[in-house]
Parts: sequence; C-alpha cells; structure tokens
Amino acid sequence: MTAQPGTSGSTGPVTPPAATPPGRPDDRSPRGADTGGSRRPAGSSALREGRAAWILAIPFCLLFLAFTAWPVVQSLFMSITDTRSRDLRKPFSVNIIGLDNFTKALSDPLFRKAAANTAYFVLVGMPLTLVMALAAAVALDKGITRFRAAFRLGFYLPVITSIVAVAVVWRFLLQDPGGLINTALGWVGITGPNWLGDPKWSMPSMILMAAWRNFGTAMIIFLAGLQAVPAELHEAAAIDGAGAWKRFRYVTMPLLRPTLLFVMVTTAIGYLQFFEEPFVMTKGGPLNSTISLSYYTYQQFGFGNYALASAMSYLIFVVIAVVTAIQFRLLRERT
Amino acid sequence: MAVDTASRPSGSAPARARTRKPRSGMVGSSQAGRWWLYAILVVAFIAVVAPFVWMVLGSFKSEGELRQVPPTWLPESASLDNYTQLFDKLSFGQFFTNSIIVAVVVTAGNLVFCSMLGYALAMLDFKGKKLIFTAVMTTLMIPGVVTFVPLFVLVANAGLIDTLPGLFLPFLVSPFGVFLMRQFILGLPKDLLDAGRVDGAGELRIFWRIILPLCGPALATLGILTFLGSWNNFLWPLVVAQSEDRYTLPVALALYSTGQNSTNYGLLLAGATVVIVPILVVFLVFQKRFIEGIATTGLK
Amino acid sequence: MRRTTAITVACMTAAALTVTACGRGPEGGGGTAGQTGAAVDTGKATGEITVWAMGAEGDNLPKLTADFESANPGVKVKVTAIPWDAAHDKFTTAITAGKTPDVAMVGTTWMGEFASSDAIDPTPAQIDKSAFFEGAQKTTEVNGTSYGIPWYVETRVLFYRTDLAKKAGFDTAPTDWQGLKDMAKAMQTKAGAKWGIGLQAGGEGSWQTLMPFAWSDGADLTKDGGKAYNFDSPQILKAAKYYQSFFTDGISNKAAPATPTTEPDFAKGTVPMFISGPWMMSAVEKVGGPGFKDKYDVAPIPAGTTGSSSFVGGSNFVVFKNTKNRDTAWKFVQWLADPKVQAKWYTISTDLPSVKSAWQDPALASDKKLAVFGKQLETAKAPPSFPTWEQAVKALDTEMEKVTKTGADPAAALKAAQQQADSIGTGQ
Repeated sequence: MTAQPGTSGSTGPVTPPAATPPGRPDDRSPRGADTGGSRRPAGSSALREGRAAWILAIPFCLLFLAFTAWPVVQSLFMSITDTRSRDLRKPFSVNIIGLDNFTKALSDPLFRKAAANTAYFVLVGMPLTLVMALAAAVALDKGITRFRAAFRLGFYLPVITSIVAVAVVWRFLLQDPGGLINTALGWVGITGPNWLGDPKWSMPSMILMAAWRNFGTAMIIFLAGLQAVPAELHEAAAIDGAGAWKRFRYVTMPLLRPTLLFVMVTTAIGYLQFFEEPFVMTKGGPLNSTISLSYYTYQQFGFGNYALASAMSYLIFVVIAVVTAIQFRLLRERT
Repeated sequence: MAVDTASRPSGSAPARARTRKPRSGMVGSSQAGRWWLYAILVVAFIAVVAPFVWMVLGSFKSEGELRQVPPTWLPESASLDNYTQLFDKLSFGQFFTNSIIVAVVVTAGNLVFCSMLGYALAMLDFKGKKLIFTAVMTTLMIPGVVTFVPLFVLVANAGLIDTLPGLFLPFLVSPFGVFLMRQFILGLPKDLLDAGRVDGAGELRIFWRIILPLCGPALATLGILTFLGSWNNFLWPLVVAQSEDRYTLPVALALYSTGQNSTNYGLLLAGATVVIVPILVVFLVFQKRFIEGIATTGLK
Repeated sequence: MRRTTAITVACMTAAALTVTACGRGPEGGGGTAGQTGAAVDTGKATGEITVWAMGAEGDNLPKLTADFESANPGVKVKVTAIPWDAAHDKFTTAITAGKTPDVAMVGTTWMGEFASSDAIDPTPAQIDKSAFFEGAQKTTEVNGTSYGIPWYVETRVLFYRTDLAKKAGFDTAPTDWQGLKDMAKAMQTKAGAKWGIGLQAGGEGSWQTLMPFAWSDGADLTKDGGKAYNFDSPQILKAAKYYQSFFTDGISNKAAPATPTTEPDFAKGTVPMFISGPWMMSAVEKVGGPGFKDKYDVAPIPAGTTGSSSFVGGSNFVVFKNTKNRDTAWKFVQWLADPKVQAKWYTISTDLPSVKSAWQDPALASDKKLAVFGKQLETAKAPPSFPTWEQAVKALDTEMEKVTKTGADPAAALKAAQQQADSIGTGQ
C-alpha cells in the first residue's frame, strides 16, 4: 500500500515540490557565470577557475554518472524495445521496435483518460496549493507577531506525516456518512457528498488531500522568499498611500517572482507525477476517475510491461519539460 | 572572516534585502485587523492539524474502535497496547540505527556535493558547465519509477546488495539539490567573489569560507527535505535489504501493520507516530535557519 | 535549455542504440509442458537455507522452522520477513538481479510470471500433489508443470447475521441464487438493513466476488485448450447479470468507496451479509465485541446449476532455481506440506491448511464455521496461471464496475473485457 514506485532521487520521484528562495531562476543562459568570467583577464586565472570548478564538480559527476545517468540511458533504451519482466535478466536480448511503445501508449484510451485526470488535478490543485501557501506565508510573515513558530510547525505537520497514515486518517475524514468532514458540513446545514464513492467528487477529494499535504512545503519556501522583501519599501509605499493589497501587488509580488517561479516549477514537476493519493486511497477508481498518468504507468510496470511503461514515463517527462519551459517563459524576470 | 568584511556588497538589491530584519509587521494594519487575521489562522490551523491529531489519538485506540462508524475523536479507553505490541515485535534499536545512518549520510552527502556543484554552476565558468546543468535538469524531470530496476541491477552487480552502502550510495547526490543550491547561490552578489579574489583567496577557499556560510537557509531546506525523503523511503531499502538486519524503520513498520487481506490500523498509526518524532526533531533544529537564517547569516 | 535538452536526449538515445541489441534468441524460460523436477536426495537435510515469507507469516515462521531444525541437526533455516506492501516488487527485482533466496512464500497469482522468468524449480515427484485441495494445487501449475506447493489456502464464503436473518424470516442460509436475493431483500424490508448484502461494486479484485457465482454455474476462464482467456462465456454473462441485479434493485450499494466499511456495517446490521474470506471472522468479532460470535454464521456460496463453487487464494511455497542447496530446500518444502506440520501452522497462524488430511486435526475439525470453509475448498477454483492474468483481469474489473455503477449492458461489458484480454494475450 505504501509502495512508492521509484526512488532514484533521495527525495523520491513523487515527493512534493520543495526548495528555497532561488536567486534568478530564469537564468538559463550562462549569463551569471559569464559575468564572473568576463570581468577578469583571460588566461591563467580562467584556467584556475576552470580547474577549481571541475574539482567541485567531480564528486557529483562521478556519483551522478554511475547512479543516475546510466539507469536513465538503460531505461531509454528499454522504451524502444519489447522488454517484458521476464527479459530483464538478459536486457539486450530483446527486439528493438522503435517508437511502437509510444504510439501504443498514446492510442490507449485509458492512458488518455489518465492524462485528462492529471490535467484536472494539476490545473485545479496547483493554484489551490500555491494560493494557500502564499496566503499562509504572507500572514505569518507580516500579519502577526506572536505564535509564528507554532503556526509554522502546524502547517508543516502534514508534510512530514507518512502517506500510509495520511491515507488511513483521510479515509475516516472523507467517510460518508459519518466522516468528520461531512459531520462538520452538517453543522452548517450542508449535506456532504460521498467523497470517495462518487466519481464526481473523488478527484476533488484527491485535490483537497494533496493541497493539505503539500502547501506546507511551498509555504516554507515563500516565507524564506518574503524575508528578502525589505520592510522600508512597504513603509515608503504606505506613506505614499498604498493600501495593503496594493503593497502586496506592487511591492511584494515583483520581488517574490523568483521564488514564485521556483515553487511553481517544482510543484508542477511533483503534481504532474501525481501518484500517491490515488494509490493509497482509491486505486484509481471509482470508474477510473482518479487514475493518473504516473499511477497508470506504475500499474504497467507491475504487470511486467517494462518497455511500454518506460515509454509512458518518457511521455510524462516530455509533458513536464514543456510545462517547465512555459513557466520559465511566463515568469521570466524583466531585465 | 576578514574577507567577509572586505566583501561588503556595494549594494545589489537582494543583498541589501538580507541585511534587514523585516520584523515590524504590516505597516498601518490596525489591531482589529490583526485580531481578524488571528481568527482565520486559528481556524486554518485547526483544520490543518486536526487529521494529524486524529492520527496520534488513533494510535491509542483499539482495533475495534478504529473501525467504528462514525469514527470517534477521543479514545473510549486509551491504551498503550499498540505501542507495546510494536516495541515487542521490533528490534527497534537496529532499525532505528540503520535509518539514522542512512539518512544522516545521505543528507551530509547532498549538502556537501550539491552545494559544491551548485556553486560551480552558479558562479564559475568552465567547459562542460552547460552540459552538466542540462543533464541535471533533465534527470530532475524524469519520473523515478522508470530508472528503478536498472538502478537496482547496477547496485546488485556492484555487490552492494544487503549492505549499508547499497542503501545510501545511490542517493548521495540529487539533481534536485543541485538545482536548489544553484538557484540560491545565483542570488548572492557576485561582488563577494571578486572581493575574495582581490584578497588572494583561492577559488575553493572562497567557496568554503565566503559562499557556504551564506547558504544557511538553502542548506537548512535541503537538509530537512533530504532527511525527510531518506527517512520515509520505503521501496529502495526493502529491495536492497536481504536480511532483516538491514531493514530501515519504515520497512520494519510495514511488516507488522499490513497483511495480505487486512490492515492493522492501530499498529499502523502507532508506527506512523513513532516514525515522525525524529523528523520533528530535525525540523525544530533546522527551522530557525529556514526563516531567520536569511536575516541573520553573514552580511549584517 | 530546451534546445540542449533535446540534444542531450538525442545523444543518450544514440549512445543507447550503439549498445548492441542482439534481438531475441530462441524463447527460453517456462520450459516445455509437464516437467517434473529432478529427484531429491532422501537423506537428512543439511546446511543453511534462506527463506522469504511475507507479513505475519514471515514473523511467525521461525516458530515453526525450529522444529525442522531440531529434526535435522545441523540445518539452519534463515527466515526473512517481508512486508506485503511491495513484496511483488521485491521478488521481481531479486529475480532480475539473480539475488533470490533458496525458498520463498509467494502469492498464488505470481506463479505464471515467475515461471516464465525461468526463476522457479519444477516440483520433484516425491511430493504428493493429490494431498492438496485440487483448486489450490492448480495455482502451482503453469503450462502443465507444477512449481512448488500450496502452503495455506483461503476461500470466499457468505457471511450473514443469524439474528437479523431470523427477523427477516430465514432460519437457514440460502442455497441457491434466488434464495440469496430473496434473503438480502428481506433483510432490507424486514430486518432494518440499509443494504441487503455488501457486494463489491467493481474495481480492483471484484472478480473474486463475481467468479464464485460464475464458477457455480460451470464457467471456465480459459478456452481453446487453455490457450486464451474466456471472459464472455454464457456462464459469466449469467453471473454478471445476476450480480448487476443486486445493484439495479437497490439491494447493494453501488457507491461504496474503494475501502468499504464492511466490518462495522456488519456489526451494526446496516449491511448484514457479505462475501469474503476467513480473515473476516476475527475482524468482525473484534469490531462486534464479545458475544458477536453467536450473532453471525458463514455458509457456502449459493449453488448455481453445477453446484457451489468459490475462489481459492492463499500462498504457495517455491524453490528458486539458483539455490545452492536444492536438496535441503525441497526437503523443507516437503516438510511444510506434512499434515501434522500444517495443523501446527494453523495453531500458530490461523492460516488454513492446504493439505486435505490436516483438516481432521481436532483444532480445525471442532470449529463449525471453519468446516464451511473446508467444505467450500473442495470445489473452489483458481484463476488461470497466465503471466498476464493480473493485467487481463483488471480489464474485467474495470468493465464490471461500469456494469454495477452505471448500469452498462453486461454482455457488451464482457465483450469489451474479452477484447482487451485478447489483445493482452496469455503471455505464455
């Protein structure tokens, strides 16, 4: 029930987004480094710099080549073959079938259904998570002066709770009838839906759960980013007569942009690989309403269809790469 | 830190930002406004923490009570049965030690190696830089499930099955950590570097003595996230360990709470509560660095 | 970055392509039909063997293996307990890397996959295959060859509340399909139940509740001499229609979540009947509290035209091919199938014996509810041991969910499931 399909990064493939305030995340060009290099005369110092850089890079590169790059190459190869689980012992005595796995995946109606579900989840879940996180961060940063640490810890607790326990607890919360959420809704006269049993409400349940689990991480990053917004800018704007909303919009947001980009990119990577909630709660049901791309791919691995599942994984990768590129473009810092 | 003083930034915006403590609160917001905010926060706090509280309370309930409909809040007759059962069954010390060793080594490795490369990518110019960064970003976006089996075969062929290095070696570095450290270091003023060079410090010394001390918040974030990821990792330790001596805590806990056709909720919740304690400690130790770190580190 | 990413990916692909892919050799693995393992030396067992077993079984097994060790001085049985979660992943990776134990407990539905990976050893002739329940023995057979033994078994029967049944006017359990439906309906109208019977409304594993009815009507899940799946046979269609009627008539809840609240609903009487396995006895008694034991009973699956049948599950024990101590490994497995050892294992674990004669042991024979399971096991059936079974039956589960929840036409649904199963193939 807890199985997390892959763990090539220590934070895990489906670990929610996380990070600190980035500097200039749009800095895809080597601009940052060029500045450093170009200021000094070329020659021995550049040589020294290059050597130092490689000394710093070597330990990572060796470990990376061995434990990350090689498995990636092998799995890419697998995606263009007809490998099934029984072939894994002799990985090269398989037939190369080119892009057949990719076309097979794309023409699979269930794969497309999973893609639509994942899109639903990301398009609703991501804004919800980010808004919750940003609101909490702003409130804790500038709104209050006492009990900050307690609120911070409280909002972070869901992040550190293991998914198996989360699954048990949320099953009780979402039960119908008698679950805690529907009981609470009953107090204000609302008849709660059959959250996990109704295909219309199962995905909203997943989204609610994911937002609850993940907004703490984004909040922590926003909090760190907000530290970089100088108080005197706020003071100056206030003297000019700007209200709280205007100050947030025109003072805080521009300075928070790099952080926002970072959080958005990492959240999108995590949410596009949305897996754990349906895995522990619904098994993709009812009526495949919560089956996600990653979960469907995981099932294919389980069935032993390694080649097809690898191809599906790389299709997910392509979507992530495109979404990441779009976000970089949209949120590029004005220079 | 003589260099530090010399490197007094000439004033790029992010650097200046780090020099102030924005602690004064929202300017002009009235007491009433604050009261209103506290009310919202408390409601949100209760909503967010309630499931967690239910989990902890649940660990003191009997299996029968846990399956009642509608569920109860407070245990009808609280007992430590789940915990005593858990500790009776588990050779707890062994699993705990394995988990700690793996998590600490993995965290240390990520902090050191990822910040080294992150610094090189952010501040230095060298051949192959673009390729390395591209490879890092690419692998960050590849679903981990796809490389799992090739990685396992690799580790098996290296003879690392059923060893502690087999548990931590593959995770000593992560693309995520590099991306994070690079982004953070990019935000530091370049002047630091030049000032260091003027002082005649070597590149590695600049990294060690000037850059790293400024990375407190980033390192704290990377530290807690890596620790959390390693601590909760389930599938990798399960397949690498051939004997129970090598199990980590989550693997051992899963052994007793989940059966072929049924789940023991009481044991599961007790286990989840126990496993969270070390993470809480790590969070509490690091959390000052998370937030205050930026305001207090280095440049004053 | 996008451009360079594309280049990197292209480079990696090119690099991968230059690694010589040799194409498939002649199909190995699986072997020819009807193999028997080489005979095992009859002397005392010696040396050390490693054993993997899941969950509570792995936890309890050392209590049993101590007996084997004392009967065979010098033998060491090293048991590693493995969590049920992701146990299948652990086995497939271990097989891939050649890091399997000597002996292991495995799920009955994994046999086809492991046998086709050429990972497990055919059973030697010394082990008497007729000692086991027939349905259980069938789970060890792949393509006519038996691999290992059934270790313990479980089967699905009807659970019902005797007190509420009386209220509804029934003194005995229903014996045919109409009787079951009448009783479930009466539970609602006369005994205050919200739902007459809890049947899984599709989704993962729901075939285990559907197939007992179809098998009771003589269904066969394979056709063409065991070379293809057979999901759209008239027998399964009849069962599917019957199954659907519980939902369309409002007797069963079509909107129950993936993890239903079976035990508390049963204890409260809101859902006073369901179909499940032996583990549910202790589960409902835990929730129901003291005295609940006498408020319910179990009964065989109501009979169709060919009598009462059910689903048989459980776990098997296999020897891996790359064992270094094959003789001792098989001796250990053979020892596990000894009726006395089976009966003792029941007292340790409450797992039901797969060996028929072990049921004469007083610990089992004295329990009336258990006897129902024992009786049901004689006719219970196992699904085919094709390596692709789990994937194919997923299609059936998905289609059945449409039948129960949206009222889809059972014939069309089974046809769709059959089409998917055909395109998946048996994998043999």
